[in-house]
Amino acid sequence: MSAAWRAPTRRLRPRVVLGGLALVVVVAALVELSVGAATIDVPQHLRCLAGEATGCAAGERYILLSLRLPRTLVAAVVGCGLAVSGAAMQGLFRNPLADPGLIGVSSGAALGAGVAIALEAGAELLPFGLTLPALAFAGGLAATCLVHRLAQVRGQTSVTSLLLAGIAVSALAGAVIGLLGYIADDQQLRDLSMWLLGGLGGASGDVLLVLVPTVAIACALLWRRARALDALMLGEAEAFHLGVDVERLRRRVVAEVALAVGACVAFTGVIGFVGLVVPHLLRGVVGPRHRLLLPAAGLGGAALLLLADAAARTVLAPAELPVGILTALLGAPVFLSLLARARAAEVA
Amino acid sequence: MTLRADRLRVRVGAATLLDAITLAARPGEVLALIGPSGAGKTTLLRAWSGELRPTAGAVTLAGVPLAAIDPRALARARAVLPQQASLRFPLTALEVVLLGRLPHPSRGESAADLAIAGEALALAEADHLAERLASTLSGGEQQRVQLARAFAQIWEPTPAQAQRVLLLDEPTASLDPGHAARILGRVRRFARATRAAVVVAIHDLNAGARCADRLALLDGGRVVAHGRPAAVLTPARLGRCFGAAFDLFTAADGGFAVHPRLLADETDETYEPWKTP
Amino acid sequence: MPSSLLSSFVLAVGLAAATACGASSTAPAEAAPAEAAADDAPVARPARIVALGGPVTETLFALGAGSRVVGVDLSSLHPEAATRLPRVGYYRQFSAEGVLSLRPDVVIASDQAGPPAALEHLRASGVPVLEIPAADDLNDARANLEAIAAAAGVDAAEALRLRARLERDLEGAQTLLRRARSRPRVLFVYARGPGRLLVGGRGTPMAELIALAGADNAGAAIEGMRPWSAEAVIDAAPEIVLLPSRGLDSVGGEAGLLALPGLAQTPAGRERRIVAIDDLKLLGFGPRIGEGLRELVVGLHPEVAEGPT
Repeated sequence: MSAAWRAPTRRLRPRVVLGGLALVVVVAALVELSVGAATIDVPQHLRCLAGEATGCAAGERYILLSLRLPRTLVAAVVGCGLAVSGAAMQGLFRNPLADPGLIGVSSGAALGAGVAIALEAGAELLPFGLTLPALAFAGGLAATCLVHRLAQVRGQTSVTSLLLAGIAVSALAGAVIGLLGYIADDQQLRDLSMWLLGGLGGASGDVLLVLVPTVAIACALLWRRARALDALMLGEAEAFHLGVDVERLRRRVVAEVALAVGACVAFTGVIGFVGLVVPHLLRGVVGPRHRLLLPAAGLGGAALLLLADAAARTVLAPAELPVGILTALLGAPVFLSLLARARAAEVA
Repeated sequence: MTLRADRLRVRVGAATLLDAITLAARPGEVLALIGPSGAGKTTLLRAWSGELRPTAGAVTLAGVPLAAIDPRALARARAVLPQQASLRFPLTALEVVLLGRLPHPSRGESAADLAIAGEALALAEADHLAERLASTLSGGEQQRVQLARAFAQIWEPTPAQAQRVLLLDEPTASLDPGHAARILGRVRRFARATRAAVVVAIHDLNAGARCADRLALLDGGRVVAHGRPAAVLTPARLGRCFGAAFDLFTAADGGFAVHPRLLADETDETYEPWKTP
Repeated sequence: MPSSLLSSFVLAVGLAAATACGASSTAPAEAAPAEAAADDAPVARPARIVALGGPVTETLFALGAGSRVVGVDLSSLHPEAATRLPRVGYYRQFSAEGVLSLRPDVVIASDQAGPPAALEHLRASGVPVLEIPAADDLNDARANLEAIAAAAGVDAAEALRLRARLERDLEGAQTLLRRARSRPRVLFVYARGPGRLLVGGRGTPMAELIALAGADNAGAAIEGMRPWSAEAVIDAAPEIVLLPSRGLDSVGGEAGLLALPGLAQTPAGRERRIVAIDDLKLLGFGPRIGEGLRELVVGLHPEVAEGPT
């Protein structure tokens, strides 16, 4: 009965996984900094910045420091936020194929962006560069609140009612976006469709100022839900038996995911599949426990979006592809293979 | 220091699932809930776990209403084995058992937790499964792993809550007779040794009678009989509750068993709804 | 086992990273503002020009500055030489780094170009950006021609020559129009594939063109470009249907267009009076507006073509 017990050997040690992923993020960030339409000798510029060399072109320096650097940070933060949110949603819905968009935050944000673009609403209130993110963020939060409210039956929500309310609210947002598309002129329509494809072109220091604290707070709060999400893996009743207030957990996770995803979507548009595929893939490597899965997903999401954006900025250079197209091109086949594998496992 | 239901009524929608239940699970004793399907055995377990709020009446632990106890503090004292566990994530059996340590201050992450999980697995005869993915195990193996998790959850008394409660819903449903007998024996010893109040909802009347100190026979959401097994399991009462005729067999060591007769033995031979050639 | 494969891959990449970039992993922590002050005054004769917007590109080439254009946007479809230059994306959604990588001395952009942040980046990095207002009428066309010529540092003589050609074409169009005896009701439709028929209402460049070509806009009941139902098209009773030639192709030519609900029941449909115009010439009010207008006058008033022009 008292055999020597040790941690499961099937999985990699947490430090190894997180250290490895962190290195991947660093490499991906260096790739994102180094490639692009312009050819820049990055090490030379780093020496210039350190005061060890001179003669670096100001134009190149601008591209490196004011375009690529903020973009690198935004890509890392957004990838992290989306993947952590995805992992939390998959835990909350007890479904490894759940997506952060399920609670309506993306479609709500798209509606907010649509209002900003098609009606040029609030253009007088804020400089246009800020009106769109502000309206998109507000739209995402409002849609999530509505989903949560609709899902409540006698003060209780259930995963099924959340899912159905999410679908309904997303459909409603889609319909209103359609209406806005009808009102919009051709160019606004094109702007809207470009926004819906997602892109990191808007990255700047100001964006980071809003994005970093919001995503950091949301992710830190989600990290605190890790153990409760672990308990939820066994089932809702079982989580309660293990001391988890499931209703409160659901409310908090939904709010925190809305915060993180809302902020990301507001500045970058809808970037799909990162929140779905990254946690799902990493669960196979690090196991499903959220204390490890959430940070691993954050790092994995950052690395994926950095590399995807590096590709998006180079394949058509000097033009750039909306990065959402690339993540969808990469993510959809992965998703389908996961689905096929899940079905094969069910049949077996 | 008892888990008690006092004139408990549970209604869900228009259906009254439990009514006028006054019943206690006492420290150091095993109470078995028996009765036909739909009698309310699982519902009573859910009310006693705190999962279902009473519509009327009260559920108390050591005199305190369950709803007034912090869920995590309650979880350190009360463990539940669900009838069926569904696991859609790739957790190993050991990880499942470690989740039982989640309510404790060490959060299932200390060496002590690991040791407890190992011993709990051994107690449930599942230690050889520790590294396997729980979702790939057979029904009986999964049930033993879940039982180990329940044991691990209340492995030691906590300073705040000396009383421990173990609620088991059909713990032997998927087990072969050998496993079932050994596990029920261990459950009984666990109750004796730890002074835990143990409640077992169980279909198998004889297994329930063997492991329990007292039986409560439920029918239609009410307790129809309650007491020592030999007093509750009379063929006449069982016949009324289950709609079949029962025989009582007595063993040399004083033990006994009840068995229903097959329907065809009865006068019902004319009942032939199917088509005959 | 796939998970162990993946994890060893992760490890391998991690190790490679550790060795490859140990020294340079300390990335600069914050973006320093650009040193070069934003200065919108373009250099006298820029050697490298990036054009954002079809009419801008067209004007530059017409001014003989095409050899100095080093990059264009996706809407720059004329002249043919422009389409072989590096593309920096659609002008409403261009990439700042893409433009900067072409090392332009000046960026001449439609005022519809964006996103605003990308324009800000260009200015902040010290590249002068000249925004050309969207042209809605002939005066805009003339003013933009001047502005683009100045920004590109084109010889005054060259600019005058282009301006003179524009005025000559416009004069030619006016001369033709004086001979016109009809004032048809014209409906501008923008057919983007079957089932999506946009109509040009008030306040659109098409409405302005129809007026300049001596005709009435049958779509004047609405404002802007709007999808119309078959009923509304019949009710508007246009005598001529006007559409961009590329739009005509997308619905399958004249036959395809007349098969669309409503159009066949209009006077234009019954008499098969469909006029396709080169939208690149006309819709941006660029340097070929005069030429386009002459063709439009002939198209809307066939009677003027009878005599010598």
